[in-house]
Amino acid sequence: MRLPGTRYQEHGWEQVRKLLGHCSLQAFRQIDLRLLYEPGQHGALLDAYTEAVAASLRAHLRTSRAEAPGNSYGDSVSELALSLLFELQAQPAFWQAFMAAMAQEHARSGAFWDNPLADGVLRKKVNDMYVGLRDKVDADNYIVATGRDCSPNKIYTYRMLDMAYGEIARLFAAWEQHREQVGAILGRELAGLPIEVRQMTSIAGCKAEWVIRWSESLERFDGAPGPLHTRSKRFASLKNAPEKIAAMLAEISAYEELSANLDSGEGWEGDAGEAALWLEDYWRVISESEQQEAVPDVVDQIRQAQEDAFADAQADGAGDESDADAAEPPANAAQLAREQAAAIALSLSPRYLELARAAQDAGSWTLRLLHAESLPVRLAVYHKLLGPADDSYPDAWLDPATGELPTLQQLAALDGISMPTLRKRRNEAIDKLTAANRAAA
Amino acid sequence: MSNDQNKDAEASFDARLRERLLLARPAPGDRLMLADATLLAALDGSRPFTPNERTALQQSPLTLRRFRHLALERRAQSVPVAANDPVWLGSAGMLRAAASASALEQMVTDDGCWTLHFLHADGGWQVVLALSADAPFATRLLREQPMLRVVDGGGAIILQGRLDADGECERAWPFDGDPAAHFQMHGASFMVEPVSA
Repeated sequence: MRLPGTRYQEHGWEQVRKLLGHCSLQAFRQIDLRLLYEPGQHGALLDAYTEAVAASLRAHLRTSRAEAPGNSYGDSVSELALSLLFELQAQPAFWQAFMAAMAQEHARSGAFWDNPLADGVLRKKVNDMYVGLRDKVDADNYIVATGRDCSPNKIYTYRMLDMAYGEIARLFAAWEQHREQVGAILGRELAGLPIEVRQMTSIAGCKAEWVIRWSESLERFDGAPGPLHTRSKRFASLKNAPEKIAAMLAEISAYEELSANLDSGEGWEGDAGEAALWLEDYWRVISESEQQEAVPDVVDQIRQAQEDAFADAQADGAGDESDADAAEPPANAAQLAREQAAAIALSLSPRYLELARAAQDAGSWTLRLLHAESLPVRLAVYHKLLGPADDSYPDAWLDPATGELPTLQQLAALDGISMPTLRKRRNEAIDKLTAANRAAA
Repeated sequence: MSNDQNKDAEASFDARLRERLLLARPAPGDRLMLADATLLAALDGSRPFTPNERTALQQSPLTLRRFRHLALERRAQSVPVAANDPVWLGSAGMLRAAASASALEQMVTDDGCWTLHFLHADGGWQVVLALSADAPFATRLLREQPMLRVVDGGGAIILQGRLDADGECERAWPFDGDPAAHFQMHGASFMVEPVSA
């Protein structure tokens, strides 16, 4: 199923889910899950998890599962898995819920993640997290693409209706074997080939009443109640709202038709040129708004919250330990020698830090704010915000062996600090940038 | 690398980082805070954000992403296709104050190119979208007859269809309440836009 903006709703999702499950299991063998009992450590645990899964995904890059198409916009399974992994950072509620589920299981059966026989349990919990996350991310993508409200529940409903259409189409195609059930869907006895079977060539031709009757009669034919008629009542209100079903079916169909000829969807990540363009507009409208001081008779046009507002948990309170002493920019020979030794130990060019430092212009907004941070900490900031590889990185920052920024382990070693210290300084630097970015117009 | 190239690269690196800081930060319970009409009016300078709207935008990554989408769409469309044949991306309008005393008869977009007329008939309402003959893109729209949509401040569709030869499109009012009450409850604004992928 395709809808405006969505990326995780097509058949390839099954493989994305499995790949994330597989790589997560590997990641959990490397990180210290006992930290999950310290809520203050959940952010650090998410960082460690993200890095471990990203590394595992990279190791699987050339497998047939990873290379398979994940949707019809040209994203591969591994690209979708990686982007969803990074969405966790912006949607910490899903990680919090996962931590809670893990703690609950741990209370029941101890350190189950050490037991290979419990892989299924772990996989299921990971799965639950990503299933919820993908619908949240796609609901947001839909809102951005259309300007209309959406929610994970609504995305789930679209998918249920798409699945219902698929089932009805399957029954129609084999109507002779399913004479009675097709009759129940159409609401009449069949006398020969029903004309509806020929007429329904796409989801556009699927009638809302058929979906309702299909769901209603499913228990009789399959033994399990249809989605509109389960005891959970998740979709119960829909069975009395054929016009709502019809509108949603029509929307799926209209967009599939429109997007059938597009070979690529528009990702919101965009490129560097686009970032500069819209930010120019952003700062212009902010400053126009600030210049025009509150005019009394202009009424605020802020939209009211819709009923289906998604109740998110609170963001985690990041560590509020006091500022560690910031590294001084190196100038003297002794410092250079130490840097070179660290670089050589990591198989980087001896002059890596010196050249990488020279590659960032002192007039840069970012550098002005982060001048007190060491270069490895700054690179760790970019690593987290933009990923290990980005078109905007100068060559001097990249490890020639990988074509990417050095890994966090390498950066920590270059700086002569531990990984937790690097992460802590990095996160503090990001907080500083975030605050400055919001203040500056 | 020349100095100028270096400067460009720096600027785009900064932009990329600042974009990410604005858009990818956690914002629990985030939702769309401003309607398209409000965002577009600020973009074309016809109605700057109020201080509260500005704050709402700055604190909502989701609304900022919609703003980004509209800003880039607007820039892509503003590249002139041919002289004297301007492209039209959409027009926004607001419910003007103090219309509540008398029944709402019409609303006009900020660019003056579109009017929504409300006709009371047989206990129900009809809504008519009319294109002004003076609109710079009138010739083009009448020729191409694109599918058009009118949405309210909440994004709900009020009317969808193609213009007739007179530049009008009439439909039954799709909501329960009367138009004035409806707009007051849904952002007091509307938007006429071409329907596209």
